[in-house]
Amino acid sequence: MDPRAFRRFRKNRGALVGAVLVAFVLVTALFGPVLAPHAPDAQFPDALDRVTGLPVGAGGHYLLGADQLGRDVLSRLLHGGQTSLFVALGATALALTSGLSVGLLAGYLGGPVDTLSMRSIDVLLSLPFLLVAIVVNRVVDSPSLLVLCGLLGGLSWMTLARITRAKTMQVRELEFVQAARALGMSQTRIVARHVLPNVVQPAIILGTTLVAQMIVAESAMSFLGLGVRPPAATWGTMLSDGVSMLSYKPLLMYLPSGMIALTVFGFNLLGEGLRDALDPKV
Amino acid sequence: MRSIRRSEARATLCVLATLGALAACDDPRSGPRFAGARGDDAAPRRGGTFVFHHESDVRGFDPHVAFDELSNMGIKLLFDGLLDYDHELRLIPRLATALPEVSADGRAFTFHLRHDVRFHHGRELEAEDVRWSLERMLHPSTASPGVAYFAQLEGLDDYTAGRAPHVRGIEVLDRYTVRFSLREPDQTFLNAVAMPFAAPVPRERYGPDAVEVARHPVGTGPYILEEWEPGIRVTFRRNPRYWQPGKPYADRLIYELNLQRETAFMRFLSGDLDHVHRMTPADRLFLGQNAAWAPYRERKADADLWGLEMNTELPPFDDVHVRRAVAFVIDRERWSLARNRALAPLGQALPVGFAGHDPQLPETQVRDLARAKAEMRLAGHADGLPEPVTLWIGEGPTGKAYGELAQANLAEIGIRVELKPVSFPIYLRETGRPRTAQMIFGGWSQDFPDPATFFDPLFHSRAATPTDSTNRSFYKNPTLDALLDRARSERDASRRTAMYREANALVTREAPWAFAFSNIRLEAWQPYVHGYRIHLVWSNCFRDVWLDLPRRRLAQRFAPRAGVPAALLPFGGAR
Repeated sequence: MDPRAFRRFRKNRGALVGAVLVAFVLVTALFGPVLAPHAPDAQFPDALDRVTGLPVGAGGHYLLGADQLGRDVLSRLLHGGQTSLFVALGATALALTSGLSVGLLAGYLGGPVDTLSMRSIDVLLSLPFLLVAIVVNRVVDSPSLLVLCGLLGGLSWMTLARITRAKTMQVRELEFVQAARALGMSQTRIVARHVLPNVVQPAIILGTTLVAQMIVAESAMSFLGLGVRPPAATWGTMLSDGVSMLSYKPLLMYLPSGMIALTVFGFNLLGEGLRDALDPKV
Repeated sequence: MRSIRRSEARATLCVLATLGALAACDDPRSGPRFAGARGDDAAPRRGGTFVFHHESDVRGFDPHVAFDELSNMGIKLLFDGLLDYDHELRLIPRLATALPEVSADGRAFTFHLRHDVRFHHGRELEAEDVRWSLERMLHPSTASPGVAYFAQLEGLDDYTAGRAPHVRGIEVLDRYTVRFSLREPDQTFLNAVAMPFAAPVPRERYGPDAVEVARHPVGTGPYILEEWEPGIRVTFRRNPRYWQPGKPYADRLIYELNLQRETAFMRFLSGDLDHVHRMTPADRLFLGQNAAWAPYRERKADADLWGLEMNTELPPFDDVHVRRAVAFVIDRERWSLARNRALAPLGQALPVGFAGHDPQLPETQVRDLARAKAEMRLAGHADGLPEPVTLWIGEGPTGKAYGELAQANLAEIGIRVELKPVSFPIYLRETGRPRTAQMIFGGWSQDFPDPATFFDPLFHSRAATPTDSTNRSFYKNPTLDALLDRARSERDASRRTAMYREANALVTREAPWAFAFSNIRLEAWQPYVHGYRIHLVWSNCFRDVWLDLPRRRLAQRFAPRAGVPAALLPFGGAR
C-alpha cells in the first residue's frame, strides 16, 4: 500500500475504530468455538426456572444467560458469529470476484460482450431480493450455508460490475495500456498487469460495505426463517427467537442485535476510512 | 475536515442514543384499560362491534368442506346444526326441537325440526333441506372430509357409487321431520350430526350452478356474512330473522386475519381487539401472572393430543423398538418447562377427560433414558442410527421450538434429526401421503367429546388412504380395527369405556406416536365483553357475545390516546 495512504488511514480516528471493531469481531468469530464455554445446541436442565420456565438471566453459571430452550447465549453468540461472518464474507468474496471479472470483461472487450452483460445486469437489478430468496428457499430442498452464500453473493455483484466497467473503459484508453498493446503484450497480460491494479480500488471499498450489507441481509433472512436450518445459530435466528421474550428477557434480543449493529458499524467505518485513504479526491 | 468529522460522530451518537431511548421507554406490559365492568349475570345488551382474530387466513366458509379451527370460527356464526353442545359438552338440540327419538335397536334417529327457523335469504328451513344438504356433503364431487363420520348411514355405498339418487338412510317423513337409519348402531352418530358437516344449507344457493359457495355462505346462523376482504378481515352482521328471540346481541363481529401473535397481543392490550388467544409463551406468562387480568381470562386444559408421529411404513420406524425408544426418550416435563408451562404432559393416546383415559395406565410413555437405550439395543441400534431422520414441522417459531426440543432429546439415543419446516397447506397435503414424511410433529384436537374422535382418524387402518390420510403414521393393526369397530357400536357405556381403555393401552404400547402433551388453553377478553367462555368443541365460538357499551365508551375516553380524533386513529379506534 502507498505509505501516504497508510498514514492518512492512521490519522482517521473513525477508520481506526472501524478497524478495531472489525478485528474484534473477526477474532471472536475465528476463535469463537474455542472460547465458547458450552456446546451451542446443548439444552441445560438448570438453565430454566423450575416454576415458570423462564430462562436464567446473565451472570452466574451462564455468563450471558440462557435462551428459551435453556441453551447458553454466550456460546450461541460466538458460534452464531462465525456462521454469520462466514456467510457474509463468502457472499462478499463471490460478489467481488464476479463483479470484478464481469466489469473487466465488459469494459475491456466492449461490443456485444458489453451490451449483453450490461443488459443482464439491468434485469438482475430489477429482481426484488426477498422474493428471489423465498423462491430459492422453496426450490432448494435443504438450504445450506453455501446456498445462502451463493444467493446473497449472486444478487449483489452488479453495482461493482458497473463501476468496474466504467473505470476499465477509462483505463483502457490510457497511454501505458496502448503502449503495452503496441509492444505486443497478450490481452490477458494487459488486463491482469495493467488494467486490474488500476480498477481494484472501488472493489476494496465496496467490499467492506458489502460485508456489512450481507450481515444485515443474512440476519433478515434468518429472521424470516429463510436462513440456515435449526438448531444452528446465527445472529439473525437468535434475534428472531429472542423477540418473543422481549418483555421478560430483553437481553435475548439486545445481544444479537447489538452484535449485528457493532459489526455493521465497524465494517462501514472501515470502508469509509479506506475510501478516504485510497482515494483522497472524493 | 476535522470539525465535520467530529459533528458527524456526534450525530451518529445522537441517533444511537435516541434509538436506545425509544426502545427503553415503551413498556408493552399493562393491565386492562378499563377494569371493573359489571358481572356476567347482568342482562345482556344489544349493539356494538366485537373484534376477534386469528393468525392465519381463512380458506372458505363451506360447512361441508371446511375442517379447520380457522374456518369453523366463522362457520359457527353463519350456520346452525340440528344439535349442539352446552359448556359441559352434553348434546343439546338446536335446530331440532329435542334430542332425537332413538329406535329400540339403536339404528334409527328421528329428528323434529323447529318451525320458526329461516335461512339468511328468508326462506323457511324444511326437513328436505336437511336431507339435501347432507347428500351434498356426502356426494363424491364435494370431496368432503366429513364422509367418514357418516359411514354407517344405510345405503351410503350405493349413493357414493352412483347407483342410487338418494341415501336410503335419510328419509323425510314430513315437512319438519327427518329420520336417519344406520346399518349398525353407532355411538358417535349424534356427535357427527352436531358437526358442521351436517349443517343445513338452502339448495337454491348451493346448487350445481352456484359459484364460490365458500365465499358466499347462506345458512341459518345468528350472523350473516357482510364483507370479506381476503387475507385482511371478514365482517359479520346480525341476522335480523334469527329464530332465537333477542339474539344475537352484537350488531357486528369482525374477524381479523393474518395477525401475528405478538402483534395481536399488543393490539389486544391497546384495546383494538376484544379477544385474544394463541399467544407467545412470554405473552401467556404475562397474562397468566397479571392479577389485573384475572377476571377476564380463562385457562382450561384442551382436549387435544400432540406428539411425534412416526411413519410405521418407513424405516427406521417400521421397527416398534425404535418407536418405543423415541417414546421413552421424549422429556415431556422439560418440553412443558421450555414452553413456560403452557402444556400438560401426556404419555398416552387419550387426553384427560375422555372415557378410556387412565392416569395409572401401565403402558404410559414416560421419560426413561435407560429404557429408551434398551429399546434401541433391542432394535439392533445400540450405537444409534447411522442415517439422520427427517422431522417435519410447521413453519414459524412454534414448530421450530418443538423441533429443536425433539432434536436434543433424540440425540441422547443416537438419532440425529434434520428439521424440515413446511408451510401449513404443504404440511397437510404431504404428510397425508403414504411413504412421504418419516416423522411429523403434529397434533389432533377433538371433533366431539368421545374417544372415537381420536382413535378412528388417527389409528384405524381405514384412515390411512393414498392421498389425504389422517392416520399419518400409517399404523395398521387388524386387532385394533376390530376393537374400534366394536367399541363404536357398543351401547353399554361401561363396556365401551373398557374397550377404549384396551385400545389406549395397545396404541400406547405400539407407539405409532410418541405422545407428548395436551395444550392448556389461555384466552382473555376485554372487561366489557360478556357471554363468552372457552368451549372445548367449538373453539372460539362468539355467537352469544354481548358488549357493555357504556363501559367501553368510558374506556375510550380515558384511553391514553384521548384527544386524538377517533377518525384519525388506526382501525378499531373509531368503533
